[in-house]
Amino acid sequence: MLSTDLRDNILVVRVEEKRIDASKAPAFKDEMTRCIDSGQNQIVLDLSYVDFVDSSGLGALVSCLKRLGPRGSLAVAGATGAVSRLFTLTRMDRVFVLHPNVDAAVEQLSA
Amino acid sequence: MKIRHILLILTAFLGVALLVAVALQIRDELREYQTAKRMAASNTVREQLLLGTDALESERSQTYVRLIGQGKEAGALELREVRRQVDDLLNTAEREIVAAGGGLTNTDRSLATLSRIHREIETLREQADGFLRPADGMRSEEFAPRWFQEATRLVGELQSSRMTILQQERPLDPVLRTEANLRAFAAILSESIARNQALMSRALASPSSVGSLEIDAISQNAGRAELAWELIDGQLTVPLSESVRESVARTHENYSTTFAPLQKSMLAALLGKVPPSLGPEEWYGLTEMALGNIALMQRELLRSSRERLEAELSRARRSVALWSVLLLLGAAAVLVSILVVRRRVVRPLEGLSHAMLRLADNDLETPLPRSSRGDEIGEMNDALRVFKANAIQRQRTQNEKQVLHARLREAYGQLQKDLEAAAVIQRTMLPPSSRLDGVEYHGLFRPSSHIAGDTYNVVRRTDGSVGFFQVDVAGHGAAAALVSVACHHTLSQAILTRTQGTPLEEIAVQINEEWPEDLPYFTMILGEIDPRSRRASIIQAGHPSPLVIRSDGAVEVIGEGGFPVGMLPAASYDRLEFDLDPGDRLFIYSDGLVEAEGQDGEQFSEGRLRTLVREAAADPSSVLLGRLDDVLRNWRGSETLDDDLSVLMLERLAERIPANAVH
Repeated sequence: MLSTDLRDNILVVRVEEKRIDASKAPAFKDEMTRCIDSGQNQIVLDLSYVDFVDSSGLGALVSCLKRLGPRGSLAVAGATGAVSRLFTLTRMDRVFVLHPNVDAAVEQLSA
Repeated sequence: MKIRHILLILTAFLGVALLVAVALQIRDELREYQTAKRMAASNTVREQLLLGTDALESERSQTYVRLIGQGKEAGALELREVRRQVDDLLNTAEREIVAAGGGLTNTDRSLATLSRIHREIETLREQADGFLRPADGMRSEEFAPRWFQEATRLVGELQSSRMTILQQERPLDPVLRTEANLRAFAAILSESIARNQALMSRALASPSSVGSLEIDAISQNAGRAELAWELIDGQLTVPLSESVRESVARTHENYSTTFAPLQKSMLAALLGKVPPSLGPEEWYGLTEMALGNIALMQRELLRSSRERLEAELSRARRSVALWSVLLLLGAAAVLVSILVVRRRVVRPLEGLSHAMLRLADNDLETPLPRSSRGDEIGEMNDALRVFKANAIQRQRTQNEKQVLHARLREAYGQLQKDLEAAAVIQRTMLPPSSRLDGVEYHGLFRPSSHIAGDTYNVVRRTDGSVGFFQVDVAGHGAAAALVSVACHHTLSQAILTRTQGTPLEEIAVQINEEWPEDLPYFTMILGEIDPRSRRASIIQAGHPSPLVIRSDGAVEVIGEGGFPVGMLPAASYDRLEFDLDPGDRLFIYSDGLVEAEGQDGEQFSEGRLRTLVREAAADPSSVLLGRLDDVLRNWRGSETLDDDLSVLMLERLAERIPANAVH
C-alpha cells in the first residue's frame, strides 16, 4: 500500500490507498515502522492520493511519529479535504508539519 | 447386458460351435463306419453265396454223373459231403443276412429267395434220389437232363440273387469294385467249366450217341469260358494287390496251357467222330482240378476283398473313436474355459462391481475382494483399495471439519450471546431521555456491531450544574467498547468529584496525562451547563464541533478542534464558553454521523447534517433525532453502519429561576 522514493536522502513515502481506516491502519503502521526502523530519519508522507483517514488511521500516524522520536522528522504532504479537516479538528496540524506538496516538503526538510 | 454375461455367452457359444463341428464330423465318421459295416456284411453274404454256388455246381455234376450211370458206388459218400456243404453254405448265408439285420437293404426278399431256392434244391434232390435207387436204374438216365436243367436254373438264381445283393450294396472303392467284378466273371467261368464237366462226361461215356445239340452246348460253354477270361483280363487295368494279380495270372496260365487245349481236342474228337483220348472219369477228374484252380483264385479274391473291407472297417472304427475322444476333449476344454472365465474374470468383476457400487453409496465398511494378482483385475483391485482409503480419509477429514464447525458455531454463539448481553449493559449505562433542573436531553445511539466505542452521559452535580460528555474511542468493536466504558466511568466520576472552581480543561488535561499509552485514544466533548446563568461551556478534544440550535431556528457551529485525549501526554485544552438561552439546544455528535457513507461511497457530511438540522429546527428534539435516524438509514441504504454513531441533544428549558438562586 506504500511506495517509497529516496530524494536528497529524504524518504518519500506515498500512500497508494484512497482510505486509511480501521481495516488498513495496521498494515500501514507495519510498513511505516519498517521504513522508520531501516534508519530513515527524514520522511515525507505523501497523502495526496488519500481521501479519508479515520480515527484508527490517525492513531497509526501518531504512533509513527512517536516511533520516529525527536531524532527525526515526519512531514505530511498533499493533505486536502477531509484529511486536512481531520488534521485541523484534532490539532494534528500543530504536531505534523504540513506541506501542500512533496516538493515543498523535501525542499523544507533538506534546507 | 453386463460384460460378465457377454463373456460367458461368448465362451459358451464358441464352445457349442466347436462341439457341434466335432459332432457333425463324428456323424459323418459314423456314417462311413455304418457303410463299411454294411459293405462287410454284404461281402460276407456274397462270399457264402459264391461258395454255395460253387458247391451246388459241384453237386450238379456229381449227381448228373451218377444219374447217367457213370458214378461209382463210393461216390455216394462224396455226394452227401457236397450236399452238406451246399446246405451249410446256404444256411450260413441266411444267418449272415439275419445277423446283418437292418444293415442290408431288402433282407426279407433276399431271405425269401434263398429259402425258396433251398427248398427247390431239396425237392430236386428227393426226385434225384428216387431215380438213383437201384430198381430205377434205367429211368434215372432219362431224368438226368431234367436234373441238369433244373440244377443249372437254381445255380443261375443263386448267382442272380448274389448279383442283386451286390447291386444294392455296390462298393465305391475301385479296387473292391474290380474284385467284385472279377469274382462275378470268375463265377461265370466256373459255371461254364462245371457245365461242361457234366455234359462232356456224358458225351465221353457214349461218344457215338452224342447229338449236335449237345456238342453245341459244350462248345457254347467253352466260348463263354473264353469270354469270361477276356472280361477278367479287361479288369486288370486297376491297381490290384500283387497276390490277386499273381493268382489271376497263374490260374489263367494254367487254364490256357492245360484245360483249354484238352477241352478243344475233346470237342474236335467228338465233332470228328474220332474216339476221344480220355474216358469220362478222367475228364471229370481233370475238370475238377481246373475248377479247383479257379476256386483258389476265387478264394484269393475273397480274401483280398475281406481284408480290404476289414481294414476299412477298422479305419472307420478308429476314426469314430478318435473323433469321440476329440469331442470329449473339446467338451472338457469348453467346460474348463467357462470355469476359468467364471473364476478368473466373471467372479472378480462381480466382486469389484459390487464393491464399487457400495463405495459409491458411501458404504466404507464394505469389504474389498481379496486379490494379489498382477493382471488388470489386480490393478483395478489395488486402485479400488486406494479409492477406499482416500474415501475413508476424506470422510474422517469431513467429520473432523464438522466437529470443528460445530465447535466454531458454539463458540460464535457464545460470543454473540456475550456481545448481546454486553450491548444490553452498555445501553443501560446511557441515560434515558429525561430532564434535570431545566435541562432536557435526548440521545441517539447506534453501534456498528453489538457494542460501541461511543458513549455519553448527563450528570447533575451537587452544586446544581449539569455536566455532560460524549466520547468516541478510536476504532470500534469490543476493544473500543471496553475503553468507552472506562471513559464513561472516569468522566462521570471526574464531573461528580470535581472541586468547585476547578476549570473543565483541568479535568481534560489530567485525564490525558494519566491515560495509559497502551490504550487507544478517544475524542470527546466534555461540557457543563450552569442553570443559574445562561452560559454553557465545553472542552472539544478532537471531537466534531457541536451545533447550537437557537430557539429562533438559527444553527451555529461551536469550536474549531482540539487534541484527542490519550494521544499526546503534553496536550493542552481550551474551554469554550457560549450563551445557551432557554429554548436553545446543543447538538453533540460523533464522526460516525457525518462520515456515514452512502451506497456510492459518498459521506453524509457536515453540510447535509447542518441542512437537516436547520430544516428540523422547529421540531422537538426526539422528533428531530427520529428524523435524522430515518434519513441516515435511507442514506446508507441498509441497517448497518461502518462506524459507531451517537448523538446527544441538550435543551435549555424556559423555566423559572430555581428558588435557591434568589439568594
